[in-house]
Amino acid sequence: MKKGLVTLIVVGAVVLAGFFWVKNVYNRMVVSDENVQAAWAQVENVYQRRADLIPNLVATVKGYAEHESATLENVTAARAKATQITVSPEDLTEESIARFNEAQGELSSAIGRLLMVTENYPDLKANQNFLDLQAQLEGTENRITTERMKFNEAAKQFNTEIRRFPDNIVASMFGFEKKGYFEAQAGAETAPKVEF
Amino acid sequence: MTSGRTTHLLRLLAVTAISLLQIAMAQAIPSRPEPPRLVNDYASLMTVAQRETLESVLVAFDDSTTNQIAVITTTDLEGYGIADYATRIGLEWQVGSSKFDNGIVLVVKPKTEDSSGQVFIAVGYGLEGAVPDVYAKRIVNNVLIPAFMNNDYYGGISSACTILMKLASGEISELRESEDDSAAALIGTIVVLILLFIILAALFGDGGSGKGNGGRRPVIYTGPVITSGRNYGGFGGFGGGGFGGGFGGFGGGSFGGGGAGGSW
Repeated sequence: MKKGLVTLIVVGAVVLAGFFWVKNVYNRMVVSDENVQAAWAQVENVYQRRADLIPNLVATVKGYAEHESATLENVTAARAKATQITVSPEDLTEESIARFNEAQGELSSAIGRLLMVTENYPDLKANQNFLDLQAQLEGTENRITTERMKFNEAAKQFNTEIRRFPDNIVASMFGFEKKGYFEAQAGAETAPKVEF
Repeated sequence: MTSGRTTHLLRLLAVTAISLLQIAMAQAIPSRPEPPRLVNDYASLMTVAQRETLESVLVAFDDSTTNQIAVITTTDLEGYGIADYATRIGLEWQVGSSKFDNGIVLVVKPKTEDSSGQVFIAVGYGLEGAVPDVYAKRIVNNVLIPAFMNNDYYGGISSACTILMKLASGEISELRESEDDSAAALIGTIVVLILLFIILAALFGDGGSGKGNGGRRPVIYTGPVITSGRNYGGFGGFGGGGFGGGFGGFGGGSFGGGGAGGSW
């Protein structure tokens, strides 16, 4: 009788300890997961900010550089394509981020080509509106760099957490999956260089 | 054939070594100054007197509005772009308060014989409205670069700071009271605890006549606790000490890549 009670208490203590361990690990992962999603939201924000600048940029350039309609159309098309590809915060896998990154990279190079073309129009380059737009675009690119860096850091922390032993048992129990990173992709070197 | 392969291998090794070196070097952003300073003239572009004047102006501005403007000059950007460098300094040093994210980082890399000069104003999240990129760009193009071209680094930096202070204080202008508030709250808590202690001691003293002395001693003992509490509260704002003239330290601000820069 007494032995049975002791066993019961021991088993109860072990189960309780196990529960609290799982609870702690799980809750920590939830926090990290939230951090990654918040960082992603910021990433999408800054890309949206860039997308919002483009119509204005295109309109301004059009006023001075009518002949460059092909380049301008490229930018508009790339923008339309890039804004179509969104990634839900629950689906931050390697592939979906790569797809997002590729579409945005195409837009980056389209903007880069447009800005290169504007070099040939001194009137445009002297236009205050255009200069302001350029400053804003430049600032947006910096923001994109920063938020991507922050996202990668958050994702790295999350990925480390879910892979660490023995926490990885809890991770697989609740189906936490590895988040993708932003890789510097092929188009990155030709990203708009808006320095004068 | 073999020698060709060897040279190829050697070249590969050399490239790997160089890129590894670059990666290692790229990590080396200057760490947060200790004691904390707002003006960090690593490139020695200013005289000591100029440095101290600027520091005291910026510290006074921090004290009166909580906006923190950090000035960093460096000859080496450690492999980062200047925008990235400035933003990382802001993030790592946590310039600005955590409540408002109201920090600004001004980084100047002077022109040398083999490299162009670069400057960047990084603006914390909370001041992006007060100092939009376009304004930052104008400060860079119209104030900083013209002065730097004349080698007047101090003149450029101080007039840029004056403009930035004007813009920032229009948005966020709070006396640095939060720390004093928490110090006051702490003192308040201590006082309440002591009062409680005195009451309890008095109650116990009444209860057991033998414990009368034992009950009083802790009351005497708490005297210095009050004083030391006050002292810490008073010095909280002067944590810097040193030659900074009383900069209390960076406050936990965050940056998102806002701001603008230029080169000459």
